[in-house]
Amino acid sequence: MRKFVAKILLFLLPLAALAYPLDALISHFFKNSHDYQGELEVWNDIYNSRASCDIAIYGSSRAWVHFNPDFLSDSLGKSVYNFGIDGHNIRLQYLRHKEFLKYNKKPKYIILSLDDFTIERADNLYNEEQFLPYMLFNKDIMTFTSSYSGFDKSDYFIPILRYIGKSRVLYNTFFNCNSDCYRHRGFKGIDRTWNDDLDKAKIKNESITVQIDTSRIDLLETFIKECQNTGITLFFVFSPEYIEGQKYISNRNSILNVYKTLSQKYKLPFLNYSNDDICFNRSLFYNAMHLNATGANIFSKKLGHELKKLELIK
Amino acid sequence: MLFNSIGFAIFLLIVFIYYWFFTGKRIRTQNIFLLAASYFFYGWWDWRFLFLLIFSTLLDFFIGLRMQGAQSKKVKRFWFWLSITVNLGFLGIFKYYNFFIESLAESMSQIGWQMHPWTLSVILPVGISFYTFHGLSYIIDIYNSKISAEKNFADYAVFVSFFPLLVAGPIERATHLLPQIKKERTFDYFKAVDGMRQILWGLFKKIVIADNCAEFANQIFNNSSNLSGSTLALGAIFFTFQIYGDFSGYSDIAIGTARLFGFDLLRNFAFPYFSRDMAEFWRRWHISLSSWFRDYLYIPLGGSRGGNWTRIRNTFIIFIVSGFWHGANWTFIAWGALNALFIMPSVLMRTNRQHVETIAQGQFWPTIKDVFQMSFTFALAVFAWIFFRAHSIEHALSIISAILSPSLFTVPNFDGKVKAVITLMLTAVFMIVEWYGREEQHAISRISKKWNRPVRYAMYYAIILAIFIFGGKEQQFIYFQF
Repeated sequence: MRKFVAKILLFLLPLAALAYPLDALISHFFKNSHDYQGELEVWNDIYNSRASCDIAIYGSSRAWVHFNPDFLSDSLGKSVYNFGIDGHNIRLQYLRHKEFLKYNKKPKYIILSLDDFTIERADNLYNEEQFLPYMLFNKDIMTFTSSYSGFDKSDYFIPILRYIGKSRVLYNTFFNCNSDCYRHRGFKGIDRTWNDDLDKAKIKNESITVQIDTSRIDLLETFIKECQNTGITLFFVFSPEYIEGQKYISNRNSILNVYKTLSQKYKLPFLNYSNDDICFNRSLFYNAMHLNATGANIFSKKLGHELKKLELIK
Repeated sequence: MLFNSIGFAIFLLIVFIYYWFFTGKRIRTQNIFLLAASYFFYGWWDWRFLFLLIFSTLLDFFIGLRMQGAQSKKVKRFWFWLSITVNLGFLGIFKYYNFFIESLAESMSQIGWQMHPWTLSVILPVGISFYTFHGLSYIIDIYNSKISAEKNFADYAVFVSFFPLLVAGPIERATHLLPQIKKERTFDYFKAVDGMRQILWGLFKKIVIADNCAEFANQIFNNSSNLSGSTLALGAIFFTFQIYGDFSGYSDIAIGTARLFGFDLLRNFAFPYFSRDMAEFWRRWHISLSSWFRDYLYIPLGGSRGGNWTRIRNTFIIFIVSGFWHGANWTFIAWGALNALFIMPSVLMRTNRQHVETIAQGQFWPTIKDVFQMSFTFALAVFAWIFFRAHSIEHALSIISAILSPSLFTVPNFDGKVKAVITLMLTAVFMIVEWYGREEQHAISRISKKWNRPVRYAMYYAIILAIFIFGGKEQQFIYFQF
């Protein structure tokens, strides 16, 4: 019996001894990956205190591809960083906000890019790989991601475990880490023309109803209060959405009403571009929800001028 | 608690240490501890169904005692049928009620009579088919005076609920496992080491082979309507390896785990894809279930005694019942019937025991005849698996008709081709290792006999590295749903 236990321990010893250094090594190199829509570039900037700015833009992919920091900077004369996180709603946007404040100077202004899915119920941890290099023993990441299907509890505490079977991650770590930066200050203009995503979606369902999650509304409210308590000026912006796409969301008005109510309750400026000219020009979009690079530049200029005109940013 | 989870690793470590170091190696204490650990393991899935398991165990335990003490054959028969009725009743309610009621309603609607059946929205208790069959075999063996009723409840309860085999087998027999439970167990170093080896190989089969193949099998079977024949054929092949890796991997982990505690469970797989005909395949696939049906259904029905018609009838009965055991769906029945059809020539020509020994025994290379026979048998198995995996008979037929169309000769088209090629390469390596170890209890058992320590250890670390790099996205074990 003793011999068996000793042999097993001896066999496992190299694995245990290697686990942490290997984890650190993979995490170190994987951070250089520009895959996963460049999400790791943003996390790196956050954790390396390179994301400090006057104006922070929060939101989902619609923030990430719509708000060009250069155009906003030019118009407003302030430094801007785009923290848009692809495929995620207020829950993980808030996680990014928390991590940002922990390692960087507090911004003066936050533009929260709202969309139809900001307060939606979601269970799937989209692009979960973006958390891999930072999540070991990270309590905040665990608090905000463990309720999604993606990681087990042990992944947050046991080195290397979360990399098991992540062959794409390992490939990116060792063979694809020197490609060019994907984002510029968190932003990426997408050079694409209109695709048939909406037509395909309409074949499946005439329209869809977004499942509103009250816990997401509560979190949004918490976020608003925290901004107000810490002296950060917060704006709501609903950037352009192609008009046909707006019709596709059956409860869009209910969702907008939640935002309107909150903006009134907390006296937040709410710039809603749902009826802007851009929304009627299909050539500025690559799908119903997302502007292409041209559309994003036009919108960013427009927003900059409007913020200046309204003297919301001083 | 999945076998391939950290939770199970911790559980196993604790149970192993306590079992060997803190029970004073007293058999009674060990058994009570194993029972408590097994109930904890089962309760981890869903504690509510623990009551069902305990009830089923108590029922068969007491009925066993009643049968043993019955004064007349009539009384014995009464208790016997009571147990059969209650056991199958539970299985029927949880597993088959909705199927029967919906099938009845559909049949009625065919003749213009609309029924609005009341269906149950219950989840299937994990492992119910397995532990029910444990109980049934025990009761039938007592009825046939093959064994005496067990007087110690804890010992009997361990037989039904021993955690390695509780949720997906192997389906044990009282004649095989109960004597081991009652016998003093001493730690056997070589058995435990080989058990660990078998666990490692089982993990490789599940995590690397089954979970990767599952990704493509699911993608192809779930979007089959617009896919070419070649893509669908590839999907069927992926599923063929998925189900083998998944279930035989599970069995390897279960058997290996039991060996750590000094138990030898029944073998469940013996390299079935190297079979030379379907009769051999069925002697090598899910052996504990096939032999259960052979002993408790086929032989009581008359087996292969009597004329051709009796043999045809009995063969179809056991294969259809076996198919139905897997789940309440016509696809499983069709799968069973198809296998009966495939095995029929050898049953009628009485050549079903032609290939009892291992293929190419004592040699490395098979003969051309062996290769031809293996390929043909493998093709039949793949064909049958289409029914097993399809959502409905119509779905299976649509896949088969696409496979049998000219599009079979086009290049397969689906997402993730690079990963699919890597998966096929891994599967090829896996099959080579299986071929190398085909004369042993499990594929890498031979390594311990033939290879020296450094090479052996290198192989173990290589397997762990393969799991680390190529492990697929975690999937539920297929047989948990049965």
